[in-house]
This record gives sequence, structure tokens and C-alpha cells, in this order.
Amino acid sequence: MMLFLIELWESVRDFMNTGGIVLYWLALVLFIMWVLMIERYLYLTTGFPKLVKTVLGNWDAREDTTSWYAHRIREAWISQANEKLNARMQLIKTMVAMCPLIGLLGTVTGMVHVFEIMANTGTGNPRLMASGISMATIPTMAGMVAALSGVFFSSRLEAKVKVASHRLVDSMPHH
Amino acid sequence: MKTVLKSVVLAAGLVLTAQPVLAAAPQAKTLEQLLQDVQKDRLSDNKINKQREQEFLSARADKQALLSKAKSELAAEQARGKQLEASFADNEKQLAALEEKLTLAVGNMGEMFGVVRQVAGDAQSRFQTSIISAQYPGRDKEMKELAQSKELPELPQLEDLWFALQKEMTASGEVVKFKAPVITVDGEKKEMDVTRVGAFNLMSSDQYLVYNSESGTVDELSRQPESYMTDTVISFGKNTSGYSPLYVDPSRGTILTLMTQKVTLLERYNQGGTVGYIITGVLALGLLIVLERLIVLGGMSAAISRQRKSDTPSDNNPLGRILKVYENNRNVDVETLELKLDEAILKETPRIERGVSVIKVLAAVAPLLGLLGTVTGMIDTFQSITLFGTGDPKIMAGGISTALVTTVLGLVAALPLIFLHSIVYSRSQSLIHLVEEQAAGIIAEHAEKESK
Repeated sequence: MMLFLIELWESVRDFMNTGGIVLYWLALVLFIMWVLMIERYLYLTTGFPKLVKTVLGNWDAREDTTSWYAHRIREAWISQANEKLNARMQLIKTMVAMCPLIGLLGTVTGMVHVFEIMANTGTGNPRLMASGISMATIPTMAGMVAALSGVFFSSRLEAKVKVASHRLVDSMPHH
Repeated sequence: MKTVLKSVVLAAGLVLTAQPVLAAAPQAKTLEQLLQDVQKDRLSDNKINKQREQEFLSARADKQALLSKAKSELAAEQARGKQLEASFADNEKQLAALEEKLTLAVGNMGEMFGVVRQVAGDAQSRFQTSIISAQYPGRDKEMKELAQSKELPELPQLEDLWFALQKEMTASGEVVKFKAPVITVDGEKKEMDVTRVGAFNLMSSDQYLVYNSESGTVDELSRQPESYMTDTVISFGKNTSGYSPLYVDPSRGTILTLMTQKVTLLERYNQGGTVGYIITGVLALGLLIVLERLIVLGGMSAAISRQRKSDTPSDNNPLGRILKVYENNRNVDVETLELKLDEAILKETPRIERGVSVIKVLAAVAPLLGLLGTVTGMIDTFQSITLFGTGDPKIMAGGISTALVTTVLGLVAALPLIFLHSIVYSRSQSLIHLVEEQAAGIIAEHAEKESK
């Protein structure tokens, strides 16, 4: 088991070395993105239902639910709940969008590396250029994979958030 | 008689013909006298002839003696020649025997001298490139002499050889300080304290040096490696006891000289050219706007949260201004109040949203500018191809790397701007929600509290 983990770690490190420094940035962004998404999932399953319960309790306790004041107060509560529900969603979406851009950055720096080697030693040694080319292609792929992993779950998350907010609106009737 | 007559006639003829020429010739006065003269002359002539005959005879005898003497000499020499020939052959035999004896005597020694030459040759090439020669110069010349000499090496020379090899071995395992002339980057010669680490590195107090094996001098590098490497040199030089970490060049200077060709980050940035500077300007502008927005929005939300805790509306925040509208219109009907509130909210939103879209535009412009730089760089490349052809990839590669650097800069500028835009955007959105959707609710809560 331990050996397997060490081997895994070795392969990850090899991958990072061939891909260059950009991969570390990508890993950082991916990590933050997933931490944010997991936090959102947890909030949706544990934190938000509690909030809904207190808001609904407050609403049901109100005597007046039909006047202009009541309408405004309901809207304000819904807006506050939505605010909490949608917190950091924008950031998650941005990070998903940033992943392929970081991959592209890695591609271009890799190409710069290739051409720098060409400028120094000429085209005679393709083996030297290969390191630059792997530095160019691996981040692109990694960026794509990272973005894809984020796209699916973030869109699921968004749908869930929307459903939760609609459900809240529907469960605050004017009685 | 006849002969006499003849001679007389001849004499007369001679006299007659020669008279004008030989005017002084004695002339016979009479025939009688002439006869007498002739007779006298004949006598004397006979005498002379006899004498000459005698002389010849005696000379012949002499020559005969000489000839016989020479012949005897020849014989003697020939005899000597034979004798010498014999002795030469003898000597030759003796020589061959002696030579055989010599080869027998040299035996394995001949092989040994071959090995000595070979080892000396190897040592010469090794000493020439070894950085230890910076401390002990001139060793390779001694080795060269030994390797190329036709004579057999003598014992002291053999001792020198193994001593030199032993010295190289010992020196490659030690760290020493010594004084040596160093050729600086400006081309000056300076006496410096040089530290040598085995056969790997030469350093002065704060930088790496390289040994130039062609000229046999210690040179300063035209560019030192990154500071985290040279820092170890400084700490290594200051260390007096124990161990100290140090970056060592295992290729004995090759990697260090290769590092001088490495492009620094600043040089690469400058490769981007005008477009690169414009992108930097875009990034700086975007960051400034982000900073201003963060400060303003932060202050605004702080003021709003303070406003929510207090009962008296103040003028320094959007929520306070909207509450003030309500305070001023306490007694109007609900519809008029809503209109007034909407108006007040409409006034507040631009103040919150200001600049956020500019950040987004700048974030979008930066990669586009990078693309622009790429294209202009490619145009440069193709121009240089039309001028110089595709023969030299270095010319082309220079233009291409210029093109790519701008792309990198565009992305490097865009990424933080996109990220910061999302932060600023969500902050402004939450404030706008607060003002648009929650302000009315807060007013309603106030009103209800007051009516109770």
C-alpha cells in the first residue's frame, strides 16, 4: 500500500517536472476550485436547509403577509438567502474558465522554451527540444482536464442552487 | 759534300731571304769559315745529344724504381684492406651479438617505456583541462616533453610522472584557497583569492570562476548563475568550521558557461517589445482599478453594515441615502414611496458598478494584445526570412520567441485580471442586491417596528 502510494507520488512528480512550473499554478487553481465546490455542496446539504427552516419559521410567524411591507420583507429575506446560496459561485465559474487559460500559458511558455533552445543550439538536437514540447503539450492537456472536471460539477451545482432558491420562493406563500 | 752544299745553299737562301729581318745575324765571312763553324757545331751537338741520352737513361732508371715502389705499396694496402675487411666482419658479428644481448637485457623494459609515454600523453591532456592546473600551472608541458621525447626517460623523470599523477589525485580531493591571477569581465588581470573545490569548481569570495584550458587562465563568468546558487558560495567562503552546503558544477565548468547563455526573466520580458510594454500598462491600469474598487466597495459595505445597526440614516452610504428618502417621505402613500425609492436606488447603482466592466474589458484586451504581438512578431520573422532565407534557424527563432513572449504576457496579464474581476464583480453584485432588493425590506422592517 505504502509502496503503491510512493509510486503514485513519483509518477505525479514526474508529470509535474515534465510539465513545468505552470502545472503547479494549475494545481493550485484546481485545488481552490474543488475546495470551493465541496464547500458549496456541504452548504447545500447541511447549512442551507437550516437557514430555510429559520426563514420559513419567521415567515409563518408573521401575522401580516399580504401588505406592501410584507412583500418587501419577503423579497429581502429571499434575496439574503440567495446571497448566501450564491456566495463564491462566480469565483468557481471564473476558476473553471481560468483552467484552460493557464494551460494555454503553459503551452506558450513551453514553445518559448523550444524556440530558445533553437536560438541557442540550432535545430540539430531534437532531443533538447522535446523537453520544451512536452512542457508545451502537457499543461494544455492538464488545463483541459481540470476545466472539464470543473465544468460538469459546477454546472450541476448551479442547477442545484437554482432549484434550492426556487423551492425557497415557493415555500413562502402569502397567507 | 752534297749535304754541305745543300746546307750552304740553304744557308745562302736563308741569308738572302732573312736579310732584311735578321740584320744583326752573324755572317760567315767566308765559306771556309762556315765549314769550320759547321764542323764545330756538329761536334758540340753530338756532345749535347750524348749528354741528353745519358740524362734520359738515368731518368728511366729512376722511374722504374718509383714504379716498383708504388707497386709494392699497392700490394701492402691491398693486404691491409683485406685485413680490415675481415676485422669489420668480425666487428659486425660482435655488434649483432651485442645487440641481441641488449634486447635480451632490455626485455620488458621496452614495454615499460611505451607505457610511460602513453601515460604521460594521457596525463598531459588531463592536466590541460583540469582546473587543478589553475593552482599548479605548467604541468602539462612537462608531461608533453616526456610523452614526445625520443630518448629513454631517466629515473628522475619517471619519478616526476608518478609524483604529478599522485598530486593530481590528492588535489582533486581537497578544498584549498590560493592566490591566482583572474581575468575579469572587463579583461583586466587581477590577483584574487581563489577557492578550489576538488577538481570541480573555482570560486572567488562571492562568485563562481571558470578555468580556461586553452589559455590556462582563470576567468570570471560573464554572468553569474541565480543568486540562490551564488549565495551558497558566499556562505561557503565565510564558513570556517564544519560543513556548508554548496552548489558544485560536476561538469567542471561546462554547465556554468552554459548558464551564461540563459536568458534572464527581464531580458525575456524585453523581447516582447512595444506590445509587451502596452500589455504591462494594461495590467497596471487594471490592477489600479481593482485596488480602487476594492477599497471603495470595502468602505461602502462597512458603512452599510454600520448603518444597519444604527437608527439614524447617514449620508455616507447608499443604504443611508435610501433610508433618508423614506424618512423624508414618511407620510406619502405606498406607491409614491416605491417610486421615490426606485429613483434613489437607480441613483446608487452606477456608483457601485463603476469600473467593474472596465476590468473585464482590460482582461479581455490583454490576450488580444498578446495575439497582436504574436502576429507582429511573425511578420518580423517572415521579413527576416525574405531577407536572409531559412538557412539560419537562429534568426527565425529569435523573432518567433519575441512573438510568443507577447502571448505569454497577454495571458499573464489576463489571468489575474479575470480572477480579480470575479472578486470585485461578486462584491459589487452583493452590494447591488443589498441596495435593490433588501433596502425596501429594511425600510419595511423599520416601519413595522415603529408602528408597533
